[in-house]
Amino acid sequence: MVAQDDSVKPKKRGKSSRKWHWSRLTAQVLALLLFLYLLLGTTQQLSTFLPPDLFFRLDPLAGIAAMLASRSWIAPMALGIITLALAVAFGRVWCSWICPMGSILDWVPSRRARRDKLDIPSYWRQGKYFLLFVILIAALLGSLTLVILDPITLLFRTVTSAVLPGLSIVIGGVETVLYDIAPLKPAVAWFDGLVRGWLVTDQTFYLPNLLILFLFVVVLALNAIRSRFWCRYLCPLAGLLGLVSRLARVSHKVDEGKCVSCQCCVLICHTGAIDPEKKFAASAAECTTCLECVDACHTQAISFQGQQGLAVSQRFDPSRRQFLASLGVAVAAAALLRFVPAVTARVKRFIRPPGSSEEKLLNQCIRCGECVKVCPTGSIQPAASAAGGENLWTPEMIMRRGYCDYSCNACGQVCPTGAIPKLSLEQKRQTVLGKAVIDQRRCIPWAEGRECIVCEEVCPIPSKAIRLSGGGGGKGRRAAVQRPHVVEDLCIGCGICETQCPVAGEAAIRVFPVDEFG
Amino acid sequence: MNISRREFIQRMVAMGFTAAAAGSLFSWLSCTTKEAPLPTVPPPTPVPAPTPAPPQPPPVAQPSGNTYLAVARGKSPDAMVQAAVKALGGIERFVKKGDDVIVKPNICVAYHTPEYAATTNPEVVGTLVTLCLGAGAKRVRVMDFPFGGTAEQAYARSGIGEAVRAAGGQMEVMASMKFRDTVIPGGVDIKSWPVYGDALDANVLINVPIAKHHSLARLTLGMKNLMGLIQKRGEFHYNLGQRVADLTSLLRPKLTIVDAVRILMNRGPTGGNLDDVKMANTIIASQDIVAADSYAATLFGLTGNDIPFIRSGAQMALGTMDLKSVKVEEINV
Repeated sequence: MVAQDDSVKPKKRGKSSRKWHWSRLTAQVLALLLFLYLLLGTTQQLSTFLPPDLFFRLDPLAGIAAMLASRSWIAPMALGIITLALAVAFGRVWCSWICPMGSILDWVPSRRARRDKLDIPSYWRQGKYFLLFVILIAALLGSLTLVILDPITLLFRTVTSAVLPGLSIVIGGVETVLYDIAPLKPAVAWFDGLVRGWLVTDQTFYLPNLLILFLFVVVLALNAIRSRFWCRYLCPLAGLLGLVSRLARVSHKVDEGKCVSCQCCVLICHTGAIDPEKKFAASAAECTTCLECVDACHTQAISFQGQQGLAVSQRFDPSRRQFLASLGVAVAAAALLRFVPAVTARVKRFIRPPGSSEEKLLNQCIRCGECVKVCPTGSIQPAASAAGGENLWTPEMIMRRGYCDYSCNACGQVCPTGAIPKLSLEQKRQTVLGKAVIDQRRCIPWAEGRECIVCEEVCPIPSKAIRLSGGGGGKGRRAAVQRPHVVEDLCIGCGICETQCPVAGEAAIRVFPVDEFG
Repeated sequence: MNISRREFIQRMVAMGFTAAAAGSLFSWLSCTTKEAPLPTVPPPTPVPAPTPAPPQPPPVAQPSGNTYLAVARGKSPDAMVQAAVKALGGIERFVKKGDDVIVKPNICVAYHTPEYAATTNPEVVGTLVTLCLGAGAKRVRVMDFPFGGTAEQAYARSGIGEAVRAAGGQMEVMASMKFRDTVIPGGVDIKSWPVYGDALDANVLINVPIAKHHSLARLTLGMKNLMGLIQKRGEFHYNLGQRVADLTSLLRPKLTIVDAVRILMNRGPTGGNLDDVKMANTIIASQDIVAADSYAATLFGLTGNDIPFIRSGAQMALGTMDLKSVKVEEINV
């Protein structure tokens, strides 16, 4: 630290304009609105004017990892090149101008660096490279589990599987209370008409999704340690863009003749990229080209200019030793995640979205939550503990919550990586998810001799995969009431029988996955 | 024991939160169907603040010169509906100026286009909406609660959404808050059930079922179509015939139009097989839902007496099952 620092107080803003601040804020708001528009537009009708998975396609980390793990070329995900090209041209502009997660972290209250306090050791910044390497090496080994730390998947998954269902419960609850108050009825009905279908649904909250919410809250809470802590120290996408940004053509320059060492730029920089000990130079990999320092500088000493060649190295750049360490961790993680809770995976019924396979979901699914969002019945949910560690937050279908709608093939249409294949509606109707099995000890007509044909009634198969026998009031040897049977060859395991079964608790008819001997 | 006001308030707030959290936790854990967390068994006695049922219309008006049951046959659904309603004395007999009208078609699944005869013919619904608006209805809403697929998708695939909007009506996605536990004063088996409040509050309820096979009820027609306006449908299936009649005694649609343009002979109510569809090119209309259903049963080679809910309806004097005793007008258009 230079001795005079403490005596120099930041001058009043004076004439310094905030044009970059406002331009950036505009871009961030627009990007976040686009993100939310595409997210809310991810419905069965798919009526957005851009692909609903646009932000995932633009995400080079998710793209590279999915291609490495699946060893295949995934054309839509190649759009990530745009983001990489932006980084080569202007540095980490994605982080400060576009990334919706970054924008939220900019707006969440945070602690800035203070002159009287020591900063966090700079080697913490290596964390993001470490995570990046671990993710990519694990992907190379065929596991995409750690992509859950990708910021775009993290945000999308949180909003679709935790925030929106929560909102539905809150809004639905408030509406129900207010609707009982007679004078408010028309207003509540009008409001409900406005929000029902796209913002509010009858879907209930899937409790294990609290874990998803928890991870998100932790990322936000880290702001209390330092502004954009996540982006500085942890975000693997920031690590990737940081590496590329060292090639940036345009970068931060300080005119030493004009600089009065007032430290205003140091204080305003949200990633703490500016080092007062290096003549206020910004680290190329840490600078997000937000241009707030250009606005903040009273003497107009800071500019962003073209440069040739690689940026200066920093002591917190990723090292060979770190790379080797991450290699070890990645191997260990890929191996451990595969074996840790496998015991429960054998016990639990585990049904996958139509057309996908265990293998594809392991090495091609980026755990983004597009299919969770689009599923009209809320059947598709991010798999939690029972899935086995490596399957964390891959999609599973929970038939007691919702069924695979016979008129829907949306999950395959929105999956950005093709982990759930694009099936035509006709193909999806032929795709077997599992087979329904009746528990005769609990089924109403079988166990109690009372009428119930709900499973047969709702079975969508044109020739009915559930059929009834008996009936006729107990004449002769026939049973008194009709009893359901599953025609196994016809059943596609859509699960509507399990959803609608009126037996309390676990349904008396349930869909089980088809085993490999099937 | 002395506690300060502050402590008291703190405790009350804490208890409130705990109770709320426990309640919501319970409702999350028991998340299985689309139903709101309502009591699972209908209360034996009327619920604390029961909604009084709407005044019962007098037992079905005896034919006073008017046609009691109109049956139109022809190729154009639009012309058949017009002719059948006209034979009953015109739509003005049922819809008055400024009325709030609900039209209830059968849109039970989002799976198939109209030619599969799983959902009511969109032209029939469209024509009815036009007629109601022509009679000066303030608004005409059309709705159903599909059990397979979302309402939005079902409205679109059935063609009904488009037909209704073109005619100037509104499609309503049924909201769970609008269901209310309602006493069924004339109920034989069920005394109360959660029913869609708007269907009770509307000035006119017009029932537009499609005639289809159903494995338990044998057929689904006008009375059975009213099940789209209730919750807890799984449980409703015990003693279905009587319960459908009980529900009919509560809802009492002013007009029932059975769409038998195409009828589903087998594997209903979902359908999906064109071999099960038969062109019947018929529209049946009556203010008497039992008579309309009884006539529709004959299209399947059955009589009203073969269908439990029609029998129960006749026993409860909700209408006339015996078609010989009423004035039937048959029209070819």
